[in-house]
Amino acid sequence: MRESTLMRLQYATALLALVLVAVHLLMQGVLVPYKEALLFQRVLAVYRSAVDASLLELLLVVVLAHGFNGLRIILLEWRQGAAWTRSVNWGTLGMTLAMIAYGTRTVVLATTGAVG
Amino acid sequence: MGWLNPAHTNAERWAYVFQRVTGLGILAYVVGHIGDTSFFVGGPFGSGPSSASWSFDLALFENLAGHVVLAMVVLIVVYHGINGIRLILAEYGILFQRSSRPEYPYRAKSLVSMQRHLIWVAIVAAVLAALYAGGTMSG
Repeated sequence: MRESTLMRLQYATALLALVLVAVHLLMQGVLVPYKEALLFQRVLAVYRSAVDASLLELLLVVVLAHGFNGLRIILLEWRQGAAWTRSVNWGTLGMTLAMIAYGTRTVVLATTGAVG
Repeated sequence: MGWLNPAHTNAERWAYVFQRVTGLGILAYVVGHIGDTSFFVGGPFGSGPSSASWSFDLALFENLAGHVVLAMVVLIVVYHGINGIRLILAEYGILFQRSSRPEYPYRAKSLVSMQRHLIWVAIVAAVLAALYAGGTMSG
């Protein structure tokens, strides 16, 4: 992708993250009391709701894409060179995908796994 | 690391440095948070929701030090979000004035007061949100 496209993607994910993080924080201590939001049964109910679990998955993808692309921008500004650029691009993409995979595993197991 | 150089600074430059530093801080927290929330399903080797594993995870940050860290996370997240709105408005030329020929005393005329107020809005909102978070977690 061109850098201008990636920068527009950075703003798009920023606006999405703004909404999703605001909802996330409101549900973890403002609209739902902090202590209550951390109760096992309450968290389980959140994951077992299709809408809430989807929002958490979307939050995961959007924040990781925004965060690691931001790190990529900082690293590319820090040093220049073809090899450095290639390593940073692939490295940050790899870390993004690895963290999305790990987080998605949590969401899938929490949504469908047997409660123990 | 030229962006960290404190020479040639104005309020906008500091806001930009904070935007990057808070961004890196939030990314570090997010990675850790994805790790810690996986203990809801028993951690890396778990297979489904586990009450025991979740209690273990909560014990890690349900104490004063953990609450201080979480309040700091709220602080930098709120700052990053509101200052980020300012930066997007800046990118698309909203709230900024057309640049013009420099005249004494050589202040950048494009940097109108409205967008500078937004930096303070971000800082004040971040501090208030962190205080609220500290109160709601300890209360």
